[in-house]
Amino acid sequence: MIEEETLVLDLKSKSKQAQAFEVLVNTYKERLYWQIRSIVLNHDDADDVLQNTFIKVYKNIDGFKGDSKLFSWMYRIATNEALNFIKQRAKLQGVSDTDYQERLVSNLEADVYFEGDEIQLQLQKAIATLPEKQKLVFNMKYFQELKYEEISKILDTSVGGLKASYHLAVKKIQQYLKED
Amino acid sequence: MNKKNKNPFKTPEDYFDSFEDKLMEKLSKTESTIPKDSAFKVPDNYFESFNESLQEKLNTEPKIIPLFSIKKIVAVAASIAAIAIIALNYNWSNAEELSFNDLANTDIEAYFENNDFELSSYEIAEVLPVTNTEFSDFLSSPIDSDNLLDYLNENISDFDELNIEDNE
Repeated sequence: MIEEETLVLDLKSKSKQAQAFEVLVNTYKERLYWQIRSIVLNHDDADDVLQNTFIKVYKNIDGFKGDSKLFSWMYRIATNEALNFIKQRAKLQGVSDTDYQERLVSNLEADVYFEGDEIQLQLQKAIATLPEKQKLVFNMKYFQELKYEEISKILDTSVGGLKASYHLAVKKIQQYLKED
Repeated sequence: MNKKNKNPFKTPEDYFDSFEDKLMEKLSKTESTIPKDSAFKVPDNYFESFNESLQEKLNTEPKIIPLFSIKKIVAVAASIAAIAIIALNYNWSNAEELSFNDLANTDIEAYFENNDFELSSYEIAEVLPVTNTEFSDFLSSPIDSDNLLDYLNENISDFDELNIEDNE
C-alpha cells in the first residue's frame, strides 16, 4: 500500500493528482461507505453522501495540513456529511432529527438492501434511540471495529470519554432488546 | 511507620493501567444478545463501479474560472482593507453607544411584523402608552372628518356609547 505522506503529496501535485485520487478512493471507499451507511441507513443516500465526501476531499486536499491522519480527516468529513444530510432531510420534511431517524429505521423493513432478521431490526431500532455521540461511537466500535484511539482522532473526544459512551450505549441497547 | 507500607496487599504490575481494557473486553463478551452482523447489504458490484460514477459526478461539477488574477485580487483586497481600517478608526474615535432611539422605526416595525409574539391586541394595548397618542399615529393616511361623521352616523345608534367627555 502506498505511504500516506506520498499519497498526500501526489494528491497536491497536478501531474499525479488523478492517479493518486484513484488510489485514495480505492483505499478508503469501503470503510467510508460503512461509516456513512451506519448513519443514513439507506444505500442510495449512502452512495450520494460517499460521492459528496470524495468530492469534498478532492476539492479541499490543498487545505489538508497533515495535523491528523488522512484517514481520520476523511472519516471526519464523511461523518459530518452524513450527519448534515440527515439534518437537511429532516428539515425538508418538517420533522425533528429523531423522528426522521425513526422513519429511516421503519423503512428498513421494506429495504431490499437490508437483509436483517427480527433481532437485527430491533438492534437498529435500539441504536436509533441513542444520543448522536453514543450512536456514532457504538457503530464505529462495534460494527466497524475501529480502535478507541482511531475514534478519538476522528470525533475529537478523549479515549476515556469514548469508553464511557460505548459502555452506556451497550447498556441502553441491551436494556432495549430485553424489554422488547 | 509509613502509611503506604501498612497495606500488605499488592497488585500485579500494570494492573490498574490495563484494568479498563480488561473490563471492556469482558463487557463485550456479555453482549451475546446483540448480533454482530448489521445486515446492511450493497448492490452487486457497487464498489467496483463506484469509481466510475464518482468520476462522472466530478466531471459534471461546475468548474470555477477565476475572473481576476490573484495579484489583482490581492491589490483590491489590500485597498479595501486599508479603507476599512481608516473608516473603523474614524468611527471608533467618535463612537457613541447605540441606544433604542437609534433604531429606525421601519426596522422596529419589520421586527414586530416578522416575529410572532403571540400577543393579543389587548396585551399590546396594555403596554402602549395612550397619552399623546392620536388616531392618526396608527393610520397611514388621515381620515377625512366627513367620512368619519358618515361612519359614526351609520354605525352608532347611541352616541353615549362613545364616552365622549368633552363635547366641544
